[in-house]
Amino acid sequence: MRRSIFLIIPALLAGCEGRHNWLASAGAEAQRVEDLFWVLLVGAAVIWGIVIGAAVYAHRRQVDPSLETQARRFILWGGAVFPTVVVGALLVWGLVILRDITSDEGDLTVRVDGERWWWRVIYETPEGDVVTANEIRLPVDRTALFRLTADDVIHSFWVPALGGKMDMIPGRETTLALTPIETGNWGGLCAEYCGGAHALMRFDAIVMEQSAFDSWLEAEAQPAEIAAGDPGFEIFQEEGCGACHTIRGTEAQGPVGPDLTHLASRDKLGAGIYDMTPENMARWITDTHAMKPDIDMPPYPDLQGERLDRLVAFLMSLD
Amino acid sequence: MTDEIDLSRLPPPEPYDEARDKAQRKRLMDVWREPPGWKIISAVNNSYIGKWYLLTSFAFFTFAGILALMIRMQLAVPGNDLFSQQLYNQLFTLHGTAMMFLFAVPIFEAVAIIILPEILGARDLPFPRLSAFGFWCFIIGGIFVCGSIFFGVAPDGGWFMYTPLSSDPAYSGLGTDIWLLGLSFIEVSSIAAAVELIVGVLKSRPPGMRLNLMPLYCWYVLVVAGMILFAFPPLIAGDLLLEMERAFGWAFFDPDRGGDPLLWQHLFWIFGHPEVYIIFLPSIALIATMLPTFAGRPMVGHSWIVLSAVGVAFLSFGLWVHHMFTTGLPEISLSFFSAASEAVAVPTGIQIFCFIATMLVSRVRPSVPMLFAGGALAIFVFGGLTGVMVALVPFDWQAHDSYFIVAHLHYTLIGGMLFPLFAGIHYWYPFVTQKALNARAGKWSFWLMFGGFNVAFLPMHWTGIMGMPRRVWTYDLSDGWALLNMVSTIGAFVFAAGFAVLALNVLWPRGKAPLVKRNLWNAGTMEWAAEVPDKPWGVRSIPYIHTRYPLWEQEGLVDQIDRGEWFLPDAEEGKRELIVTDILDARPLFVQRVGGPSFLTLGAAFCLGASFILATFHLWTITLIFGAGFVGFTLWWLWTGTSLIPEKPEKYAGRGLTLPTYAQGNRSPGWWAVFITMTGDMTAFMGLVFSYFFYWTALPDFLPSAEHLPSFAWLLVGLALLIGAWGMTVGARETLGRGQRGLSMALLIGALPVGALGIGAWGWSAYAKGLDPTAQSFDAMVWMLILWPALHLLLNWVMSLYVAARIKFGHCTPEYRADLMNLALYSHFLALTVITIFALLALFPLLMGVGS
Amino acid sequence: MRHGSDEQPRHFTPPGDAPRVIDQGSVWILVAAPSIWAAHFLLSYWVAAIWCAKAGPMASLVEPRWIIVALGLISAALIAWLGVIAVRRYGGVFVIFEEITESSERGRDRFVGHVALLLCVLSVVAIGFTVIPGLVFATC
Repeated sequence: MRRSIFLIIPALLAGCEGRHNWLASAGAEAQRVEDLFWVLLVGAAVIWGIVIGAAVYAHRRQVDPSLETQARRFILWGGAVFPTVVVGALLVWGLVILRDITSDEGDLTVRVDGERWWWRVIYETPEGDVVTANEIRLPVDRTALFRLTADDVIHSFWVPALGGKMDMIPGRETTLALTPIETGNWGGLCAEYCGGAHALMRFDAIVMEQSAFDSWLEAEAQPAEIAAGDPGFEIFQEEGCGACHTIRGTEAQGPVGPDLTHLASRDKLGAGIYDMTPENMARWITDTHAMKPDIDMPPYPDLQGERLDRLVAFLMSLD
Repeated sequence: MTDEIDLSRLPPPEPYDEARDKAQRKRLMDVWREPPGWKIISAVNNSYIGKWYLLTSFAFFTFAGILALMIRMQLAVPGNDLFSQQLYNQLFTLHGTAMMFLFAVPIFEAVAIIILPEILGARDLPFPRLSAFGFWCFIIGGIFVCGSIFFGVAPDGGWFMYTPLSSDPAYSGLGTDIWLLGLSFIEVSSIAAAVELIVGVLKSRPPGMRLNLMPLYCWYVLVVAGMILFAFPPLIAGDLLLEMERAFGWAFFDPDRGGDPLLWQHLFWIFGHPEVYIIFLPSIALIATMLPTFAGRPMVGHSWIVLSAVGVAFLSFGLWVHHMFTTGLPEISLSFFSAASEAVAVPTGIQIFCFIATMLVSRVRPSVPMLFAGGALAIFVFGGLTGVMVALVPFDWQAHDSYFIVAHLHYTLIGGMLFPLFAGIHYWYPFVTQKALNARAGKWSFWLMFGGFNVAFLPMHWTGIMGMPRRVWTYDLSDGWALLNMVSTIGAFVFAAGFAVLALNVLWPRGKAPLVKRNLWNAGTMEWAAEVPDKPWGVRSIPYIHTRYPLWEQEGLVDQIDRGEWFLPDAEEGKRELIVTDILDARPLFVQRVGGPSFLTLGAAFCLGASFILATFHLWTITLIFGAGFVGFTLWWLWTGTSLIPEKPEKYAGRGLTLPTYAQGNRSPGWWAVFITMTGDMTAFMGLVFSYFFYWTALPDFLPSAEHLPSFAWLLVGLALLIGAWGMTVGARETLGRGQRGLSMALLIGALPVGALGIGAWGWSAYAKGLDPTAQSFDAMVWMLILWPALHLLLNWVMSLYVAARIKFGHCTPEYRADLMNLALYSHFLALTVITIFALLALFPLLMGVGS
Repeated sequence: MRHGSDEQPRHFTPPGDAPRVIDQGSVWILVAAPSIWAAHFLLSYWVAAIWCAKAGPMASLVEPRWIIVALGLISAALIAWLGVIAVRRYGGVFVIFEEITESSERGRDRFVGHVALLLCVLSVVAIGFTVIPGLVFATC
């Protein structure tokens, strides 16, 4: 265990920010489920109390043959009629919510493709597709329709604070509608086990005001601004990074890995798992598999010193 | 029925004669004694096999439990690097797999093998050697699957092995093959046990135990074994498709070649959800058997419990898609399964309320088993209530694959299965060992486990709500899951300590401890009639039963049994004998002779296990050699042990009852075993039929154009020949019945080439049109639908040759022809299969307008 | 009633009788009602699945909705008929503290009839549950 327990305890209490909490009320769909949850929780607690109470009472009391009639009613009403009515009512309620929260239309459409173990994100705009990765920004109070696909194995797209999850299945397209109602940086996860680094397949879902979102999307649609003869970019190309990664506006057009055009504008590195800092970036390049085991990107341990610094500086300039 | 025997008006028993009693006891002992020393491994009697089965299952439980503790250690603190990602993925996969396949289902079989014959007042189950075979398959397969982790090649795809993660060799290695073949092998043993138990309940009841008098435990066993028969085969079909894709590249799950990953999920969960109830019902059965004992009165609402067991069994087959709520199926389809998932709460509620009502009208004696039963109720009801929550689709969209589900499933399984089982361990331990468990240690283990369990799993609901997905090997401090996980880890270790106390209590050597008194708990069911110290024969004489709780309601029954006043008190011919009765009223039909200790079953299990294990490594030649060894051992076992012509056609069974010593057709347990096995086989086939229609619904262009369909004419020719082969087999049965032995043999052997030509014509119909199973899902499906009857035909040939040889050597005669009747029954099912396949391959495309 | 599969060696007449399949006294009535539920469930699922897959996701579900309801009514009627058989032919009753422990064919019949009747009620309830989604959803 890397860290001492004592260091953790204060951090534990501070760490409950609940970025992934279903009950954070950050999305309209999550809110419907939250309403359902509180009723279910209270109902379940009451029913559990009554059943266990009945069992304890039955165990403690003396035999009374006249109770046979009561016991008979108890089975019929408590064991058969009551559950039928309760689960029937819940079923109808659940189905109505289901009908309400599913939608085939949205104010904006985002295609997300699950890869091992990161997210390819494509915003559909009237001017064409805007490609990014591992971070999803959404305007508040607008319904976003996610069109979900997967390239290799099954993944599942989940932003608990905004709403339910939906699987991403190779060969199919699934859809999910989410309507954020509160701005903030919410956590997104892969919920379906996809092998290897499943635990490290995250993303940030950042909910913004409409105007801020519009300017972000416009910036995101632009190609990268790279100074002519940037030494970092030359190292990038010499090391062959462009074979896998795309930087729009340059000859680096690799389709395999995440799009790096506006890499440094993202909060996190490595599919939502490390802060975007030069130190993390340098380690990511040289010691990749220690930070995220099993991924396809090869480590470049020989890249050291000035070359590494220049490459990192270049990547951190892609905002 | 004119020749019916009125069991209630039997002549009185012969007066007691001590010398006769002694002589009879000695003869019984000689017949039922188990082999000495190391040869004990050839034992087949239910009391030995059952005990071994139980201990082996618990060994796998302990193993899987240690894996769980390792999981909890890894998750105790954030950012932990105690175990690597790769090892962790193997840990949780193997934990789930071992708990489900190597503990939860086998333990049901183990307990049933130990107590079912005794509750039925029978000396053994109808196929003791089959039980032994099943046990050895189970232990070989289990060690193979579990052992893989010590070589770092354990399966790591999660216990439900979703495709394409599991189907594409680029994403998953040898572990997946180990999982597939190891578990297919264990499924075979589960189905063997299911057949054994169904026939046991239907045909081995004591004379007079009509359906309305049958103990609740037997109802549950019947229902659960029936569920196994319909739930496991679709998974075997799925395993077959998946292994064909992995080993030979057939296109079933690869979307680029017209396959669909969701097909696996359907096949898996058609098995996987009933499985939950297959695990749950037998444990509830234990409570339903114990509770009347401690309440001192019959169960209130006996028939309501039968209703709920049957009702749950059916409804549980309409729930499977609730594991697939997030796969993007149309909402209306999801809703049907949500509806069934809610509806299943009703019969489950009835069961629980019957238990409480029984307690309400009686005074329940406090005891360790009842303590565990109470804990089970508290935990299970909670798990059931969260089950009602997750059955609602919108709620499940949040809860699915999160720790909320992990908590929910452990509440249902540990409350619904493990705690009742522990109650049963405390209740029946004195029955199995004739020694008493330490009650103090029992209470300690209960409170440690009950407390530890809730500390571990109650916070997990909240961990799920905080958004922690399952199957993650690490998390970050900033996720806010650290405290909850630490609490869960502490709880898990407390739980483990409780189990250690229980294990120590059970395994503690009690060689010098005094024997318990007979019928320790003053129970009403027949297993407690056993003598102390126990005898290998089970019951001294097989009584006439005319009440639900014979030990309470039939006065003097135990003494009558002991004095040998009832049926089969003797073993004059030196054979192990059981009474077979009819399904409805348990009227005695005949005396069945069952096999004694044998190494043949061991050899058969060893060879079958070796061939499955070698197939994992694609060592096809030695696989085939061991496969042939399996066939050889099995035939030897059948030849020397089944359908033997008795030395006399009937024998005196006592109390004026003379019974035949041979039966064939639907009176013989063997015929029922074939019928039940083939029902399971048809279910597996239905899995393939389902797959065919699934592709058709899911993929718009599944059916190719007319020129790529297998040729109609050749399919028709093949069908005619295959039906011809079936007709010849049926003809052989008829001609042998008329005494024409030569003609019968000729028909049997003649059916071989006819069938071969038929399947050849089918193969040609696909081959000539260039259908390539590695290219397209349709082609793969067609070839699978040809391969399936081809494999069955291969088995049919072996059986035909075997029966022909039996006729030749006079073991199967015009009068005694059970073997041939069973073969004919098998071929009926085969005929039904080929007709269905013809409809799918030739008629369905025509109907859809794409045929020629 | 003798079937080919019930022929025994000829020297003696065994007591008892083979199980009956459809007569009074058969046990199949126990699984008949839940089987009707299962058939209704699968048919409803198939109707919806084929409709959704073959008629396009936005197609109106008006027709399948009424198919599902009609299937439900037919199934319920079939089960009601089974219930009548369970009461009339088997003497099934609707009680909880049943004492159908009489050791006779009549006792066994009454027990089977009683359980069959309970299963009829449960199956009708389950069919009702299956019809609900058909009423709630108008589209795929």
